[in-house]
Order: sequence, then C-alpha cells, then structure tokens
Amino acid sequence: MEAVVKNLERTTELLAVSQTEMVQRWDKQTLDRAFQWTGYCEHVYTRFRANPNVRDVLEKQLQVTNERLRTTFQGYTDITFSDLSRCRHLLLVGLLNNAAVPSSVIQLLFDTSCSRNVGDTSKESLGHCTELIEVKSACKVLSAIYLKRSTSFPGPDADVIGTTLMEILDILLSPATGGSKVGLAEKLLDNILQTCGENENFSGVVAAALLSRKNNKTATTMASEGVSLDFILDWLQQHHSVLQHMCSTLPIGLLMNLYQQSVRFRVTYRDMLKQWGSQLEYDMGEGEWVQMYTTNGVSFKTLSDHYRSLLGACPSMKEDVESELTELKVADGDFDVRGLSVWGDLLSELNKV
Amino acid sequence: MSQAQTQAGSMAGLKSQEVAFWLGKAVEWGYAESPDTQRDTCLHLGPLRAFLQLLLTHIHTRSSTTETMRTVPFVGQFLGRLCWNPYVTADAESRSLLLQSLWSLYSEEPHNAVERKANQWIRNLLCQLATEEEDSATHMLVKHMGLPPKEYNLKVLRKMVWLLVEEVGESCSSLADPNQRCSCDSVLAASVACVPLVTCPETAPLIGALLQRPVTCDKAALSQHFLDAVTSAYSRKCVSLEAQAVVSLWCHNLASLEGAVMSLLDSVLSNPASIPHNLEHTITHSLLPKACSQHGSIFLIVNDIFRSMLVQVEGNQTVLYLIHTFTLCFLRELAALQPQECVSLKAFFPHTPQSLLDPLLTHPSEMAQEAWPEHLAWITASLQRLTEEEEEEEGNRGQCGVFEAWFLLVQCADWVEVASQLLVSARPQDCGPLLWLLTFYHHPTNREHHRTQQLVAAREVWDHLRSLFLLSAPPLPADRLQSLAELMSAVPQQPSLDSLLVVSLLVNFAVFSHNPLSGAGEIVRMVVQQSGLVREAVCVLDMVELRLNREGSSSSLTDRVKPRARALQGTLTHMAQHDTHTLTHMAQHDTHTLTHMVQHDTDTQPLWQRWDTHTAAPGCSTNQTL
Repeated sequence: MEAVVKNLERTTELLAVSQTEMVQRWDKQTLDRAFQWTGYCEHVYTRFRANPNVRDVLEKQLQVTNERLRTTFQGYTDITFSDLSRCRHLLLVGLLNNAAVPSSVIQLLFDTSCSRNVGDTSKESLGHCTELIEVKSACKVLSAIYLKRSTSFPGPDADVIGTTLMEILDILLSPATGGSKVGLAEKLLDNILQTCGENENFSGVVAAALLSRKNNKTATTMASEGVSLDFILDWLQQHHSVLQHMCSTLPIGLLMNLYQQSVRFRVTYRDMLKQWGSQLEYDMGEGEWVQMYTTNGVSFKTLSDHYRSLLGACPSMKEDVESELTELKVADGDFDVRGLSVWGDLLSELNKV
Repeated sequence: MSQAQTQAGSMAGLKSQEVAFWLGKAVEWGYAESPDTQRDTCLHLGPLRAFLQLLLTHIHTRSSTTETMRTVPFVGQFLGRLCWNPYVTADAESRSLLLQSLWSLYSEEPHNAVERKANQWIRNLLCQLATEEEDSATHMLVKHMGLPPKEYNLKVLRKMVWLLVEEVGESCSSLADPNQRCSCDSVLAASVACVPLVTCPETAPLIGALLQRPVTCDKAALSQHFLDAVTSAYSRKCVSLEAQAVVSLWCHNLASLEGAVMSLLDSVLSNPASIPHNLEHTITHSLLPKACSQHGSIFLIVNDIFRSMLVQVEGNQTVLYLIHTFTLCFLRELAALQPQECVSLKAFFPHTPQSLLDPLLTHPSEMAQEAWPEHLAWITASLQRLTEEEEEEEGNRGQCGVFEAWFLLVQCADWVEVASQLLVSARPQDCGPLLWLLTFYHHPTNREHHRTQQLVAAREVWDHLRSLFLLSAPPLPADRLQSLAELMSAVPQQPSLDSLLVVSLLVNFAVFSHNPLSGAGEIVRMVVQQSGLVREAVCVLDMVELRLNREGSSSSLTDRVKPRARALQGTLTHMAQHDTHTLTHMAQHDTHTLTHMVQHDTDTQPLWQRWDTHTAAPGCSTNQTL
C-alpha cells in the first residue's frame, strides 16, 4: 500500500509538471515513462474502485498531494480518485495544450509509421493520437451506415455504457469482493440518473445494461447474473417515475426482449401495465378511455398495443395474461358493456384481431 | 484565384485547375454530414490521395513555410478542412499524408510572424483532433463508468462493427417473401461508405462480411470502388482478411485475382534460390489453390495465366515446377472439400482429352510401384496417338489438343519424374516409351520432325549413363566420361537435346542406381562441373527428394535412396558455392565444353514460335468470365 501511495503521488506530480515549461527537456523515453506511470494509475483505479476502504485511503492521500501541489504550481487542478480512471487522457490533454512541449514529442504521438493489428491496444506512446483519430473517424463513418436498423435503440454508445455498468455492478455486488457494496451501487445509479438529466439517455443505458447478458456468452454464473439484474430492477421500483418513463418510451420490441429474459422484469412490467390501466378513466363525451389526472400515463391504444405484443411474444404466457385480465374484469363487475371496465374493453379489443 | 497565385501554383507542379478543384471539394464536403457529401468523399478518395501526395512533395521542396505560404496560400484552410472530414481521416494513407503535410509546415525555428502563427495553428489543430470530446452528457457518463476515452471509443467501434456484421450477414429478405421489398440496396451504399475503412484493422470483420455476402439479389451488388480499394489494400498488405473473404474478393473482382497470380509468379521467379523447398509454402500461403478448389472458374483463369507464362518463358525450370506444385496443392485442397461440394474433375480441365485426364491425375502414390511401367506405357501410347493425329491434320485446327495434353503433363509432372526413375533400372527393350515421354515433356513440339533425332540422342545419352553407372567399377573410365561429354556438346545445326532432360536423367541415375555412392557422386560432380549446370542439378535433386517425401510410405527403396540423395545434395551445394569460379575458368576452355547445355538453346526458336503458326493462342481457351 505504501508503494501504491508513493507511486500515485509521483504520477500526480508528473501530471502537474507536464503542464509546465519543464517539459522542454522531454524526449521519447520520458514520454514512454509518463505513459507507463499513467497506465499504472488507471490499473490502480480498476483494482480498487470497488473497495471503499482502500479508496478512502488513496483519496485522502491525493488530497494531501493536491494541497501541496497547489502551492507549487499555478493554476493546478486537483486530481481525485475517479480522475485516475482516465489518467493517461489527462496527461495527453496536458501535453497537447502545453506550447512548451517539444515538437519532436508531439510528433511521436502523431506518428503514422507503425501498423496495428486487431485487438492490439497499444500501451505505447508512439502513434497514440493517430490511433485515436482513426478510431473516432471510423465510428463517425460507421454511424452513418448504422442507422438503417429499426431496432437501433439503444445505440452502440448506450450499449457500451450499459455493458460496463453491468460489469461494475457485478463486481460491486458479488460476494467475492468481500461483501456487497449496495450503497456504492446505488450511488452509482443515482449519479448516472443525475447526469443523464432527461430520461431518454437513461432509459437507453439501463435497457442496454439489462439486455447485455443476452449477448455476453461468457457471462459469470447464473447467480451473479441475476443479482445485478435484480438490483437494477429494485432500484427502478424505488424510482418509479423513471421506471414508468422507461416502459412508456422504450420500443415495445425491446421490452419484449427484456420480458423474455428476466422473470423479475415480467412481474415489474405487468404491474406497470396494470397501473397504467387503472389510471385510465372513461370519457363519456369522447367515448374513449383517457388519462384524466396524470400526465405521464399512456393512452388506451398504447396500452392495448403493449398487451397485444405481450400475447404475441410469449405464447406460453398467453393464457396467464388473459386470465389476469379476466379476473380484473370480474372484479369490476364482469359487465360486457363498453366503458365500464377498462379491462373488459381491453379484452374485447385484443380479441378483435 | 489571382493571376500571381495561379502562376505560382502552376509553377510549383500543381496545376491551378487541379488545385481549384480540390479546394472546392474540401469546401463542399465540409464535415461530410450529408449522405451526398459522404458518398462523394468516398468516391474521390483515390484521386485525393494522389493530390495530397503532390502537395506534400511540393511542401517538401520549399525551403521554408513562408515560401510555401506564398506559393500555396490555401494550404492551411485546405488541410484544416480535410482534417475534420472523418471519411478522409479514417483512411490510413490519407491520414498519414495529412499529418505529414502538417508537420512539414511546422517550423522548428520560426523566422517571422507567419511561421509562428502557423506553428500555433498546427498545434491547436492537432490538440483539438485528438481531444475533441463527444457531447457533455455522454462524456460524463463515460467518466462515471471509469472508462478512459480511448477505450470507450474503441469499444463503441467494435460494437458498431459487430452490429453491422450481423446486419450484412442477413440474407435478402425478399427470398422468403417476394412481395417484400428487400433492403439489399443499402448494402451497396454501405460498401461505398466502407471505402475509407478498408485499412482500419478494427473494421476488417465488416469488410470480410461485405465480401462474403451471398449475391442472391440483383440489388445486392458491391460498389466497384469498394472492390478496387480492397484489392489495392490487399496487394499492399495493408488489410488482414480471412481466407474466405479473399476468395470472395477474387470472385467479385477479376483484376484482383489476376493481381494475386502475378504477385505469386513474381515472388517465385524473382527468388529462384528458394525453389523448390519453399515453393509449396508460398503457393499455399497465396490462398490461390483453395480458391481454385472452391470455384472452377478461378482455376481456369489461373491456368490461362500459367499457359501464357509458359510460352513466354519457355523451358524455365522454375515455371515448370511452379505449375506442378500448384496443381498438387490444388488437388489436395479439392480432396479436402466436403463431398457435396465436389465437382467432377472434367469441369476443371475442360480442354484436355478425357482419355488422358484420369491416368495423369492419378498420383503415382495411389498405385503400386510395380504397376508404374504399365501405366506409363498407357499414357505414352495415348500421347503418341494424339501427336500423330494432330500432325496428320497438318495444323488446320491448330495444335490445341497436343498443347493441352502437354500442359496437363506439366501439371502432373510426377509421372515424368517416375519415368526418369524407372529409366535407371529399365531394360533396353522397355526404355522406349519412357524415353519418348521424357523427350515429349522437354520438347513438346515436333517442328520439322526433329523428334526422331531427339529420341535417338536420348537413347544414346541413356546408354552412356547406363554404362557409366551400372556397368563400370572404379576407377571411372575416362573415355566413357569423355564420350558422354562429347555427346552432350552437340553440333549446333542439329537439334540438341534439352539440357534439363540430360541433367534430370543424370541425377536420377546417381540417386537410384546401385553404384557405390562415392562413384556416383564423382560422376555427377565431373559432368555437372563441365557443363556448369549446378543450380539446375540441385533443383532436380530437390524435386526428387520432395517427391520421395510426398510418397510417404517408407520402403526399402526409399530407405536406400534417401541418404544417397542427401549426400549428393551436399556435394552439389558445395559445388554451387564455387560455381562462379568454375564458370570463369570454364570460359577459357574451348574444347569439349558443354556450353551448349548452359545456353538455353538461344539459337533455336522460342517454344511458342515452334507451335504451328496457325495456332491463334496456345490452349485455344476462350475468354473466361466469372
């Protein structure tokens, strides 16, 4: 631990120095070493992000270092533990924005001579920025082709974030890492929600996270798989408006995927549908079921679309769903007249086709 | 552009029209955000690269950035615009040219305000290019996830590739339901958009998927630009495609197939010292045999190229061995195919007379050695019949049949080598057909009916070799060697026997005879030294060894023979090192030299001219289209 602390301190100093005039004497070796140190810090982050004790210790040390460096370097920006995850990027930004860096060093970063192979995420500094440009441009080019798919939601960026989220949750919640860190996990989801602001992004990320197991054939044991999924669903239950928004805005096909994948989700989803149904009131004038009191419910048509998809997607559960609806209709009096029970009208709507 | 600028531009090797054109394009493309500008960029990528190279050369030849700015004042905004066009920066070569140009404009010691400003601009541009972030919301999310930006971008790219590969892999939806409009035309658009991505390692799976997409629908064509881009990148080894994708590329694009064959020929012919050991490896590595086994049309095209090669470089030992080894690799690939994919061999050899196809394609190892003489007699008889028939026809139809038969013999040259081996132990009454086959192989045409004389000469050589190897005991009779040498140095007017034939017989005798090894080695050494055919002898010996290895099964024969071959190898390789010395020494001799053997019959006509002049083209093959 002592060694780790010391190394972090050194790297933080390095980052500070990289933004000053002292870089004038840097050469290829210095650059490579800087890359190695920052890579080490990123590794430290990954290693201890799920361990609150170590994290706290390191965070405190960083604060101490920050204070010291603030007095030495003008315009110094603090480094926090979470900053360590992108330490190399910080180094890069610092160097590229620093006019004192010798052009030979910058040229190394933009070198075009070496050829890469697939999966060869080079840890070296040579051509690092060239690769970056290549990857970003390729993404832009592909995104123009990509949009043809109807099921393009959630997009690949939401997908990557969602998959990473599940990986993190797996680590946080797995008993192997010394007790589940439910608190940290909740905080993480809260942060994401806050960041996303408009729920659109958030729905995409969460949906991608929930679906990520489908594609990941090398998933861990069934138990831990379920744990992260259940955790997210629990959290969604506590943030009901978010859940509602998700269910009402996500493409129905996606919801069906989730439905087929997770037993927990089925319960959640069906409850949501029932809730929506109960919010509908019959408008005598219009002759339609409408939302009277809430603004974030769904229309009758949407609700029936959902139910119709449900019956189509899961034939094995068809009877189950229909009997549930029938029960609700019976509870409302079991009349066959339109306008008295939303459930009865739903059933007749579904049986029309 | 002003007069001065136009003049300056054109003086600098850049035509002003060209400059204006590309400046306009860069402005038009902008950030390449609309489908039209995207497509336009992709289609112009090749010419753009050429222009960028010109520009770079121009900048290099200026003495300073100030001068560059004077002659090509547009350079800053031009390069700047292109740097923000992802379709240009995704392509490896364009990206490299752009960055090199920027660095060429950078002054280590800026002399004035212009240069200082340029430096600053360049540094800013590069910084922005590398650190430009996506929208702030995504940025924060990525940060929360603890993903470094580069890793995030890489993962997104991989995910996109994966999704697209899936989508491309779906077959045309109108197959199942003809009324449904398929989305195959989007594949064409996708292939155009992928032109800049051909060299990116991460997108290789997508390139492969596009190439291998089954062409079941009219609309599912791939853009020619795309195919050309892939071909060019493949030949420069800038793209890593899996074997099946390469085969698909060749199916789509004839030019790429021809390029691959020429590349193979080039690498083989330019490095004859590596023949024949690496030959098989080189050929297999080229993926051509595999492609040939899967698509008969490819095999036919490759053979067409081989045929023209043969008539241009007649008697070239390397080409003969190449064709032979290639056919062996091809047959091996064919045998490895799943049974349901197998096509009858006739489809692969349409021009060869059926009577010869089966006997020649049967490999010697597939039958007992005792059956060889009879089999060879049959082959020889068929060939003799064929040549006689064609000669009778007086060449009205051309000598297609004989050429095709000979070409097949070249492809299945194992039988020729077997004939050479059998000649070592053959009795005088049996050697006729074998000698005929050998002579035919080395002298396929019978211009002016020289064959009879060639056969006589061959018989004489054989007799000499027999007496040297089988009948004499050491010390070697010098007169025998002398007469052999005399025989080999034929009088110029008379048609001489191909030197390769003699060397081949010599080496076979040395390897397969029961003569004590030291004696055999000595004979070979002396004859080869006098004739200067060391390299050829080494080649023949290598081929004998490879054939013995191929036949695999160890018998008493192979056990006895392999050590002999190896020892001879040692002797000959040793000689090869002194070859140059010997040749210069030899030049001083004017009697009893075998220089006629060294010169590849320069006084006789090249092979292709010996064919009947009525022949339009050897092989009489029609234009093969895929």
